[in-house]
Amino acid sequence: MNNRIKELRAKEDLSQLGLAQLVGVRRETIVFLEKGRYNPSLRLAHDIARHFRLPIEQVFLFEDDAVPTQGM
Amino acid sequence: MKRTVLMFVISALVLVSLALWALKGHIAGNAQEMIMGAIVLLVVGFAVYLGISRLRSHRGGETAEDELSKTVMRRASSLAYYISIYLWLFVMYVSDKTTLEAHSLVGAGIAAMAVVFVLCWLGVKLFGMKSE
Repeated sequence: MNNRIKELRAKEDLSQLGLAQLVGVRRETIVFLEKGRYNPSLRLAHDIARHFRLPIEQVFLFEDDAVPTQGM
Repeated sequence: MKRTVLMFVISALVLVSLALWALKGHIAGNAQEMIMGAIVLLVVGFAVYLGISRLRSHRGGETAEDELSKTVMRRASSLAYYISIYLWLFVMYVSDKTTLEAHSLVGAGIAAMAVVFVLCWLGVKLFGMKSE
């Protein structure tokens, strides 16, 4: 599973620590997520997607669905 | 924060106990005791590292423990438990072939379990949990 966290974070000029504090995790967790070394829980994925005001499937991409889907 | 303080207190108690044991002259200074001492220091070092990491997170305004750190601990624990079963089978096998006393073997087994846990934790941390 890939994700667009780094790209979306850069668009908002948001640091890893800033995002971590907003979604209630440690900065290390955001680092792991961005490097693809950890798949988040549904709760965390939801919180991150909600922060970026996007549906989960536009933030977290499965290998067979590499292009983000349009809206819900 | 309470758990962090507890980690530091337990680490300090272990170190003080080790120092007292050494000062009382119970340590003969042979290789076996040196290895045991090194393992105790490794485990205490690991606990202190975790404590400092939690303290740093707390001071930086982050949560001290989140789903990743809990998952790493859970995964490392289950892996260490699985490996430890085979470790104790090995200890049982070795017990017939060595002159070591039973309490030395049990001590070595417990120390090896601690080392296995630290190694599992490092492995999970380094290689991540992509498959989960």
